[in-house]
Amino acid sequence: MDRLWPVVRREYLERVRSRAFLIGTVAAPLLLAGILLLPAMMMKGQHGGRPLRVAVLDETGSLCDPVAEGLSRQRLDGMPRFAVEKAEGGNAADEAARLKRDVLSGRLDGYLHLPPGALELSAAEYFGRNVSNVADLRLMDQAVEEVMVAHRLAEQGLDPARVKRLTRHLDLKPIRIGASGGEREDRGASAVLSIMLLMMLYTTVIVWGQVVMTSVIEEKTSRVVEVMVSSISSGCLFAGKLLGVGAAGLTQFLLWAGTLAVIGLSAAGASGSLGGVRLPEASPLVLAALVVYFLLGYFFYAALFAGIGSAVNTPQEAQTLVFPVFAPLVVGTLCFPLVLQSPDGTLSTVLSLLPPLTPLLMFLRITVLTPPWWQIGLSVLLTGLAIAAVVWLAARVHRVGILMYGKRPTFPEILHWVRHA
Amino acid sequence: MAGANDSSKQAYNQAPARAERGTLGDTAIRIQGVTKSYAGHVAVRDLTLTVPRGSIFGLLGPNGAGKTTTLRMVMDILGPDAGTIEILGRRADRAALDRVGYMPEERGLYPRMVLEEQLVFLAEIKGTPRAEARRRLPAWLERMGLAAWSRRKVIELSKGMQQKAQLVATLLHEPEVLILDEPMSGLDPLGADLVRGVLLEQRGQGKTVVLSSHQMETVERLCDSIGLINRGEKLLEGAIGEVKSRYAKNTVVLSYDGDGSFLAGLPGVLSVSHFGRHVEVRMAEGADAQALLQAAAARLHLSRFEVMEPSLHDIFVAAVAS
Repeated sequence: MDRLWPVVRREYLERVRSRAFLIGTVAAPLLLAGILLLPAMMMKGQHGGRPLRVAVLDETGSLCDPVAEGLSRQRLDGMPRFAVEKAEGGNAADEAARLKRDVLSGRLDGYLHLPPGALELSAAEYFGRNVSNVADLRLMDQAVEEVMVAHRLAEQGLDPARVKRLTRHLDLKPIRIGASGGEREDRGASAVLSIMLLMMLYTTVIVWGQVVMTSVIEEKTSRVVEVMVSSISSGCLFAGKLLGVGAAGLTQFLLWAGTLAVIGLSAAGASGSLGGVRLPEASPLVLAALVVYFLLGYFFYAALFAGIGSAVNTPQEAQTLVFPVFAPLVVGTLCFPLVLQSPDGTLSTVLSLLPPLTPLLMFLRITVLTPPWWQIGLSVLLTGLAIAAVVWLAARVHRVGILMYGKRPTFPEILHWVRHA
Repeated sequence: MAGANDSSKQAYNQAPARAERGTLGDTAIRIQGVTKSYAGHVAVRDLTLTVPRGSIFGLLGPNGAGKTTTLRMVMDILGPDAGTIEILGRRADRAALDRVGYMPEERGLYPRMVLEEQLVFLAEIKGTPRAEARRRLPAWLERMGLAAWSRRKVIELSKGMQQKAQLVATLLHEPEVLILDEPMSGLDPLGADLVRGVLLEQRGQGKTVVLSSHQMETVERLCDSIGLINRGEKLLEGAIGEVKSRYAKNTVVLSYDGDGSFLAGLPGVLSVSHFGRHVEVRMAEGADAQALLQAAAARLHLSRFEVMEPSLHDIFVAAVAS
């Protein structure tokens, strides 16, 4: 045991001091925050933008004025969204060609074409250089539709304002009841957070697993492994590497979880929003689960990666062997819609108790609702047993593999090592 | 222990060591009936070797003879299929191996690790306390000319410096037995002298050194005793002087003016090798060198005629060939 500690410390310090660790630790939360906050902020930023200059080219003869008026009424954050002009009468084709030139020259952002049968077909066309401004186009769609509906209602002798009052949309507010009983309006933010954290787990398990693998390969190619195993047992080397790299990963995770917690707290202080952007809630349970399931996932997969690393000579050779290791991780990640849809369903429960999938799926279930404690406990227990089995297996491959050079072993050969190590 | 290699050793003034070795006189490493085979071929077959404590022992053999496999078994990196290995009087276990320093044939250090941290670490996993390793390190770095590089990463060091660093890694935990696989390969003459000096000094402190080599000259100048193996089997073993005395003095060196081509046809002459300034004549066992001298003197102007002790090189070639 007194030899294990220097190995763990060496592995830990070498990782933590590396530039990759620094970049990963700082960049990942920024990236995460960026993905969570940026779209909302960009939307806000866009609201202050200048109104869209559009022309209305009407061939129905009756819609031009109400549509122009309807568009002018559309507001975003109190600012008119559209600066409307009406196309002059005359030949529609000539007029369209003129408007097109205006759009191309930049005098207009686009024009709305109401064809002769627009009212009957409920059809219109918008021509513009940019048609990716989905939010603006939705506003335009609503405005034109409203005018058309009002027109039809009036034709039937009904009062459009009254009908609108009677057919108001329902506003269904999803309110999430937290584990502690707290209530919080949630329009999809927690699902986004769940997926983000899931991706974070998936990525970090792979990244740290690969770190272990390349570090085993590096020990082989630099031949330092022979010096190592002349001093300590290969089991000690293997355990020290897993623990040391794992400790580095855990350090990174704790830094991240701390950052998340701080953001969460400050967000709570600002009544759950940051600059008007709602932040999803990361509860202490979720943060703890993040760390626990990272560790479970790390040890399970890193042991496998280490076993592969000790069987090959170069990272390139490892590529074909890592596929079966990646497979459950990818499958687990792809299962997220299923688990989010029915986190307590039989399938979700069973999948989340399968050790290779537990780190991802049980964690995901915990983020969306708290599964029964016995299931959480069972998942930790089963994964722990699986880790013991995988570590035993990988350590045997490691023991033989680290001194094998030359041709990459086939799978049956590796099994032979396991039996005879 | 008197032998042709005496003169080279006197330069290092190793007299006290020899006395000490004489009084101890026990065994550092005992390899008994060891066999190791890999899929399909036997690397080492029923090998028995004894390394006397406080001596320098040369493990010789052509490439692929099983030297590295043998040393790896001593270090418990490989387990023998049969046979036993004892180190310092006990079955090789971790505690015994902590007292052994090992330099593998394929040198290896962590390329991206700072030199001094690495050397301290490698001593630490041999059981030397961190502070103690730190205290010992500067003197070694100074001696090896690595002091200015102590904070550099290993990958920044030249090949020769890495070699010297590897030797420091082998010595820093102050092992009682040193096992060095091809310690001189890849060193320039100055580096080789440095290593030779260190090894003789280690022996002077009563340490045992085992080195493998196929450079006969190195072994002849440095080792007290040798073991020669080929195809995994021992061919001969013993103190150098004793091994040499087993082989007859059957090599004659001549320098002359004139046409010496008739020498090869003389009775008792096995072969004639031409070198720049002299020829070496190998004689059949029991052949009379005096007859050769007379025949040569009759037809050539001789400037040198010397009956040589067989070199290790000759013994090596003869033993492997037979």
